[in-house]
Amino acid sequence: MKITRLLRAACAVAIAATGMSAVAQEKTGNKPGFALAPGTARIVLMRPTIWVGEQSTGGMAEPNADWTMQARETIARALADAQAGLGNVVISYDEGSSGEGALVSEYSQLFGAVAESVIEYQFFSGNRLPTKKRKDSFDWGVGGDIARLKSLEGGDYALFINVHDEYGSTGRKILQIVSLFAPGAAVTSGVHKGHAGLVDLKTGELVWLNADQQMGGDVRTAEGAAKRVSQLLEGFPGRPAEAPATAAAATASPTTGE
Amino acid sequence: MRALSRLALCGAAASLAMLGTTPPTRAAEPGLELPAYSHAYEPRTVDERGVWMEADEAERGLRDSPLRIREAGLEAYLREVLCREVGADRCAGVRIYAMEIPGFNASMMANGTMQVWSGLLLRSRSEAELAAVLGHEFAHFELRHSLTGFQQRRRATDAIAWIGLWGALANSDTSFTQNIIARGIYRYGREQETDADLLGLRYAASSGYPASTPAEVWKNLMAEEDASAAGRNQKSKQKYTAGYFDSHPTALNRSIYLAEAAAKMPAGGDARAREYRAAMAPYLPRFLAAQIKRNDFGGTEHILQSIAAASGWSPDLLFARAELYRTRGNPRDLQVAAQYYREARAAGYAGPELDRNLGLALLRNGQAEEGRQSLNAYLAAAPEAGDAKMIRALVAN
Repeated sequence: MKITRLLRAACAVAIAATGMSAVAQEKTGNKPGFALAPGTARIVLMRPTIWVGEQSTGGMAEPNADWTMQARETIARALADAQAGLGNVVISYDEGSSGEGALVSEYSQLFGAVAESVIEYQFFSGNRLPTKKRKDSFDWGVGGDIARLKSLEGGDYALFINVHDEYGSTGRKILQIVSLFAPGAAVTSGVHKGHAGLVDLKTGELVWLNADQQMGGDVRTAEGAAKRVSQLLEGFPGRPAEAPATAAAATASPTTGE
Repeated sequence: MRALSRLALCGAAASLAMLGTTPPTRAAEPGLELPAYSHAYEPRTVDERGVWMEADEAERGLRDSPLRIREAGLEAYLREVLCREVGADRCAGVRIYAMEIPGFNASMMANGTMQVWSGLLLRSRSEAELAAVLGHEFAHFELRHSLTGFQQRRRATDAIAWIGLWGALANSDTSFTQNIIARGIYRYGREQETDADLLGLRYAASSGYPASTPAEVWKNLMAEEDASAAGRNQKSKQKYTAGYFDSHPTALNRSIYLAEAAAKMPAGGDARAREYRAAMAPYLPRFLAAQIKRNDFGGTEHILQSIAAASGWSPDLLFARAELYRTRGNPRDLQVAAQYYREARAAGYAGPELDRNLGLALLRNGQAEEGRQSLNAYLAAAPEAGDAKMIRALVAN
């Protein structure tokens, strides 16, 4: 814990000292040939990973429990509203009496690692692997053994959501403004990134991933969360083209806890 | 017993303190006062709630981790030791997770999550030694070091950012000043470690465990590090003064100030070494197996010797020693390994893997006929083993 914090602080120092600006980054990947006919699939929403806080003057991430809790609620509500637009049944994950909680949380961690790899090594130029450069190649997964999980038996796909928001603190904003007068010391304020992904529960393949390193929408408010969720679900494969939100196929509403 | 009843008094004083508006200091012998303690503490400020939120998330990961040792009893036993060290009222705020990681470590998160690595359990020679480390970690929790450390890092990085920007505006080099502040982050961390050491020592001295033990933990670690260095043909690196970017004071420094402070405290009683060995006995083979994979011949031999010095060369220890030599794999090591395997068998080691590993050592040592005999004995005892096919192929050649 401590070492990662110190490294993060060291990175923050490096950023503040040298100046570095993030490029607008947004990308969607689809398994070639994959299509989800509306109304045919049951999608299990896994416990979303949500972190909301401030960015300190020096660039450190400062966690804020109250904002994170608000975001959990607003995003859950926005997701429930968005379900209709997904055109499929969305249920939230329930361990039930399977005793698989620990194993499923391992799969969630694994998905997180896979998603980070897609973002790092395929989506954005810079660190892209030579084998991942080809167009129409999207070949990622968490392994077929996920099909054996009893607690996921009823579902066809698992939907994973990750949101990380650092709002620039007052000090950071002032630093940013002052930095405008110093050539070569560009300071950015705020970090807003997230991704959403869909895993085929029969094969373990990642069939869709949408990542955005500069997201919009203030997740602490209801309207902001709605905007954020619509950005997260951009390019969702099962989405009927501009269908009206009345085609309600949703049943259960997602919850925030486990 | 004296120590225990004193602890009960402390508990009563603490509950009184919660009722009052100003927390009075605890009634304890001079030098052994402990900070005021409240049950079911909830984080108060924005920063503290944030740090706890992150700890809560990290604890979920720990709870579900495949590295966690879930066998009944181990975590409960660790809790018993912690409760004996810091008192029943205090340990109620802690969850302990035993993790199968062969390094020497334990750590504490802001919300009372403690993780204990198997490498610490392997190296401790008594309950008192384990308790010394657990008490140190608990002191971090009681002193809210995660929070104050976070706030200090934020202050320092804020200052570094402003100074850097000022340098850019004034076109002057500020890296020296920034470096000084960055060093301060690490120095602050080392001061926290010392504070936790000294509070941990006060727990130890009021627990009934010997007050001299915490200093010994660091002496043992230094002895192991020296043995590791010798095994790698390197010089021993024990120093008194920590480097600028060290997260902890040096082991030598810690052993000295802990011993000095302990000399002024009541000596304490039984270190409960026998009880500790009995509790760890079921886990010893797997902890040893993990240690051998660390490719640290000198350090591992030191650990084996120190366990054997207390309880003699048991079959498990002999087998581990054979494995250690076989893994290093010089021709002379293979010969020694075969000898230790046979000694382990003679002492009563019953697992079939002994025949397999003995056979492999003999084969590599050119003793083909004897090697095949051992491998056949393994196949006869474990025909369904996962590696049976591979071993059969070896025998056939």
